[in-house]
This record gives sequence, structure tokens and C-alpha cells, in this order.
Amino acid sequence: MSRKDEPFFVGYLPLPAGLKGFTLFISLAVFVLFFGAGLLIGATQDAPEDTGFRFDFGRQTVTGVVELTPYPILRVTEGNDRIAPGKTMMLTAAGKSGVDMRAMGLEGQLAQISGIVLERGTIDMMQLRGGRNGISPVEGNAPAMEIEPLGRWKLAGEICDGKCLYGAMRPGRGLAHKACANLCITGDVPPVFVSTQPVEGQEFMLITGPEATRMPQEAYDFVGQFVTLEGDIERRGDLLVLQIDPATIALVDE
Amino acid sequence: MNTAEFLLMVVKWWGAIGALVALVFLTVGMDRIDEDADGAYVFRPLLIPGILLIWPLVLWRWYCLAFETDHWAHRYKPRRHNHRIFAYVMPIAIVLVIAAGLSVRQQWPAHIAPEQLSAPEASQ
Repeated sequence: MSRKDEPFFVGYLPLPAGLKGFTLFISLAVFVLFFGAGLLIGATQDAPEDTGFRFDFGRQTVTGVVELTPYPILRVTEGNDRIAPGKTMMLTAAGKSGVDMRAMGLEGQLAQISGIVLERGTIDMMQLRGGRNGISPVEGNAPAMEIEPLGRWKLAGEICDGKCLYGAMRPGRGLAHKACANLCITGDVPPVFVSTQPVEGQEFMLITGPEATRMPQEAYDFVGQFVTLEGDIERRGDLLVLQIDPATIALVDE
Repeated sequence: MNTAEFLLMVVKWWGAIGALVALVFLTVGMDRIDEDADGAYVFRPLLIPGILLIWPLVLWRWYCLAFETDHWAHRYKPRRHNHRIFAYVMPIAIVLVIAAGLSVRQQWPAHIAPEQLSAPEASQ
């Protein structure tokens, strides 16, 4: 067959008869390849059960005492049928942003929060509605809230953003996960530490810096990687708060 | 400013400059360098995402075409010459990068148990 007689594909003309088999084969091969790759990639991802946004609960509204760790949390004093008093809710906003600015003036005060619950096991976070619909002060005297120190610990695990590990996503791995988590933490979503094994019954704990400061700059480089670190732990309601010592963070040896 | 904040700032500025380039190029520049685009507007918003990403290339090509510093045929020559090389190198590189990434991936240290270094009283 001379080159003159070879079928030639032109997008706006009918498909030449000699290319139909080839086109069908390539189309099927590409479909099978990408379908298989999708299945393979999906099957290798972590998929914890009973996690995620609980849109099925509907919008939840509870009242409690705001504490700034400095990341804002709410110690629930008046709950509802889903959220019991004594629960501690971490707070976040939609997307990769936190509620620090909105909670700033409410430390130690009673406030009402409203939003959608994210949960993983026994831990909960609430994604607040916008503006004062999400968090607003409530009249009344805030009761004193107990903070129980649990001593200094050495832990192994991962530093991540709270939203990812509280069920907004399947927790990922690798560089994309690290970049995603760093964006969340930069946007004031509270950082969390997931421990290899439970500490006082909890595998997840809110991270702060030493002396109740924000997560230290050094820790950003270790986000999404498996590390060992030391820090002081305290219990606030059913939430553990880990004040990490940045000088002790080290990658887990391979 | 930490590394993550710096990267985020760079991306924001890159996008902002790209948006400015897109605005000027799609409203003023395109008509001057491509007579086929004269009077055609519906497709222009489709170019915005691409311009946001590769606005330096857009500016360079805009300059070349506006000042007639290149010959149209030269545009295609280098890429055609390198097609075969890239056709082999790119899929091999992608597989190698993925394999390298997976080979250095950490394993979840499930064997390391939490250890209490000091009791609450001592730490307070």
C-alpha cells in the first residue's frame, strides 16, 4: 500500500474504514486502562468507616464555653440529642479556613455555635455557618472548665490538619496530602496529631505550640509525614491537647 | 512567613498577574496579533484558565507576534523534531517518578507505643 492509499484521519470527515478497528481498539484500551487505574488507586486509599460530614444529622446548634488553645474549641454545656454536654467540639469554617477571627473575642464566654458535624469515631468537629449565624455570644455566666494535665509524652504518628483527619476526606499519603494539609493549617484549620496507639483512650489530639502558642513554624515541614515528637498533653473535656516541643520532632526511621 | 505561606503567596501573585494579562490580552492584544479572532468573543473566556497558568509564555508570544520577531514556520519546527524523544521519555519518566515516590514512602510506625516521660505533677 502506497502512502497515498493509507487511510488518514481528519476530525471533521467520516472515519476511514481502515481505521475503524484501530480506533475501536484504542478507545477500549484507554477506557480499560483508566478504569483499572481508577479502581486500583481507589482500592489503595485509606477508608475509615463511619467518618465524614454528617449531613444526615442536619444542622446542629449547641451552646458552650469558648476556649482558645489558641485554636478555638467549644466545651459544650447545653447540647442536644446528638451532642451531649461535656463534649468538646473543635471548630472550623467551610473550605480550608478556620474561625479564629470570629472566636477571638469570645474566649471564656458562653457562645452558641451552629453548623455541620464532622466525626470520626468518638471525636467531633463542627464546620460553622458563615458569620454570626455560625458562632455568636450568649447571655449568661460561663462555668469554669476543668483542664487536666496528663504529663509529658513521647509519641509517634502524623501531624495533619483537623479537617482531613476528622472525616472531611479520606486521609491521604504523600506530597499532595502534605501540601493539602499545609494549606488547611495555613488557613487556620486546627492541626491535629494522630498517634500510632491511643493515649488515655484517644488517638487524635489537637496540636498547639509550647505555652499554648500556635503550631510552631518548624512543624510545618513535618506535616503529613510519620514522626516522633515530645510534648505536654492536657485533657479538655473529651479532647486531648498536645503542646508539641518542636525541637523533638524527628522523622521515623525507615 | 513559613514555606507553605510563601508558596501560597507566590501562587496568589502568579494568578493575579495572570488574571491581569488575561484581561488585557483577551480584550486588546488578541485582536492585534490574530486577525482570525477579530469579532469572535465567545471562546475567549475559555482561554482564561490557560493564561492564568502560562501567562509569561503568553506575554512572550504576544511580544514576538506583535513585533514580528519570529517566522511562523519556526514555531513548529523544534517541537516536531523532539516529538519522538518526548514520546519515549515522558511515559518512562512518569513511571520512574511514581516508582521512586512509592519506594521512599514511609511505613506507618504502628510498633511505636506512646511513652509517658513525666507525670503531670512533674511537668507543671
